[in-house]
Amino acid sequence: MSTFNLDVYMPVVILIALAMLVAGGSLLLGGLIRPHNPNKLKETAYECGEEPIGSAWANFNVRFYVIALVFIIFDVESALMFPVAAVFKKFTQIGLGGTLLVSVFSFVLILVAGLVYCWKKGDLDWIKSFHSQANYAKKDK
Amino acid sequence: MNSTVVTYLSQSKELTNAISWLTKALGFDASSLVAFVIFLVACLIVVGVMSTIGGLGTYAERKISADLQMRIGPNRVGPYGILQFLADGVKMILKEDIIPSGADRFTFMLAPFLCLVGVFATLAVIPFSSGFILADLNVGIFYLVGMASLVGVGVFLGGYASNSKWSMLGGMRGASQIISYEIPATITIISIVLLAGGLSMGTLIGGQGGMPQEWYLFHNPFAFVGFFVFFIAALAETNRAPFDLPEAESELVSGYHTEYSGMRFGLFALAEYIEVFVVCGVATALFLGGYKVPFDLGTGAILVEKLGMDEMLAKNIGQLLEMGAFFTKTFALYYVVIWVRWTLPRLRVDQLMTLCWKYLTPIAIFNLLGCAVWMYAFDGKSIYSLIFETAATVAGHH
Amino acid sequence: MFTNTLFLLSAALTLGGAIAVVYSQNLMHACIYLLASFFGVAGLYACIGADFLAATQLVVYAGGVVILMLFAIMLTGGTGNNINRYGLEKIAAMGNKKTYFFAGITAILASLIVLKIIANVLKDQSTTAVITANAPTVERIGTLLATDHILAFEISSVMLLGALIGAAVISRPRKERHD
Repeated sequence: MSTFNLDVYMPVVILIALAMLVAGGSLLLGGLIRPHNPNKLKETAYECGEEPIGSAWANFNVRFYVIALVFIIFDVESALMFPVAAVFKKFTQIGLGGTLLVSVFSFVLILVAGLVYCWKKGDLDWIKSFHSQANYAKKDK
Repeated sequence: MNSTVVTYLSQSKELTNAISWLTKALGFDASSLVAFVIFLVACLIVVGVMSTIGGLGTYAERKISADLQMRIGPNRVGPYGILQFLADGVKMILKEDIIPSGADRFTFMLAPFLCLVGVFATLAVIPFSSGFILADLNVGIFYLVGMASLVGVGVFLGGYASNSKWSMLGGMRGASQIISYEIPATITIISIVLLAGGLSMGTLIGGQGGMPQEWYLFHNPFAFVGFFVFFIAALAETNRAPFDLPEAESELVSGYHTEYSGMRFGLFALAEYIEVFVVCGVATALFLGGYKVPFDLGTGAILVEKLGMDEMLAKNIGQLLEMGAFFTKTFALYYVVIWVRWTLPRLRVDQLMTLCWKYLTPIAIFNLLGCAVWMYAFDGKSIYSLIFETAATVAGHH
Repeated sequence: MFTNTLFLLSAALTLGGAIAVVYSQNLMHACIYLLASFFGVAGLYACIGADFLAATQLVVYAGGVVILMLFAIMLTGGTGNNINRYGLEKIAAMGNKKTYFFAGITAILASLIVLKIIANVLKDQSTTAVITANAPTVERIGTLLATDHILAFEISSVMLLGALIGAAVISRPRKERHD
């Protein structure tokens, strides 16, 4: 056997292929046996029995984007934490646990400071309360 | 290192003989080919079993909810109504496939595929037993987190593509819910990785034992709280109640899958139920000792000693015991998930976000730091072993 | 043999996805093709044995950045407005002849520069490199991050903090002046 063995990724590729097969196959199978009678009324979007008013792609609130931004920062942080956490046990066994503990603490606490900042400034609120908007108005005076 | 089903089976003499025979017959190294065939068969078995579990999950949900609500539930199709999911599947295939006018056809058709691909790809690292992991990747748990986030993309695209306001709102809320709750789940996973010393599923389970006091659940108080944080975050990630706002029946009609009919909706539902099983399996592997059987029965060494059995046969029996242990623990968690759905009322969307960012994330970070301090201070020993050792030294002094 | 299959699949996914991103006229579809491209890059990382990097690519890019981009497209209404605020029609910078022309020139220039650099490197190598066994990379990366590159580790957290605060400030709603 070669020393550079990628066979371990075979199940991943096979499973992705199987997922597409299962999904595609069941839809194709359905396509052969199900009815196909489109009419205009069936194809309108559901809006509780009324005619749909306006396009659905108009309304968007910036709160979703802020959540996605905070998420990506913490996602990258966790991706950096994973290898350090994986060697933590080894480091404690050879006695360097203290230094690694300090570096992990500082890494995490810097990002906790960021989370606290977003919290205090109201970026994590889903509904912008009157309180925070009143604060903005007060600062302008 | 990376071990797989093939590595486990290569321990048997029959397989090595077959490989060498094939190599001589075909002229090139047949081990890769045999590995491919074994993987294909194993993947087909896993996909088949998982789809059945997903289908039976719908049946179990209806039966358990009926039990909680003092009624009977499905009992007509097959004995005790157990074939209900097959009937539902046939019904969904026979329904007409309606794609709303004005919908983005390509994205509309892609969204269920993405959800299903994301969930099936996570099945590659689920540790059913020590030998029957399809691929015990070195970065197993990290890979699983990555593939599970693909479902969020699928949910958002499903909501966007339908050109319906209910779906758009449900899709955006669903995607932001899924990505938000990934953070406490991932941070809790990091704290368990800290205790175990590796990212592969084998390492994570290898650090635990069969008896409850050897599980990471009871390792230290931070891991104990971490289990509940992970469980809540996982419930929210799979859009299960009480976090099922994206598909809330009473509020958004059906959220991001309002406009999906027939089998396309069936694919979304199948992906959701399999994902619940995957998440319960991960919780079992991380906190409840995974496939470890009490009294070390899983290795089959006791059978070889006491009954003098052939080693491979004893190992296979041990594997079956381990699979039994894994499925028992996972199904127990699955029952709790269904139980929680029919007990608790739904959370509002701002309560959902507040719970994640202002409660679960700080608690998860606190657990991470606590676990790190515990590892440093007590050299990674669990509470049980600490108490045991102090008791032993005290007894030894007497 | 599987190595070849995995490499061809990943390369086809990467290149195909990238070409589709440039060629498509719909911004949402371009994001989806970008997702396919990210998958291909993760497969390429797996081919050369960088398993942790492949998983990171999946977690951060395919799972995070794509959702961020989709939300950003929804926020800026990228699927709708063809007229900018001066009333002039905006020409989509995707899939038209000007884009291909400039992109083609830039690609040729960039590849010439890269080839020049690589040629100097390859001249020094007299023996072919031996592909080592699939060593676990997670422990090595973790050890390096904890010992040699600990400063980079800490500075990256400061950089992430800066990104977080910057993003929060930019996306905060504008205060209204009450006069």
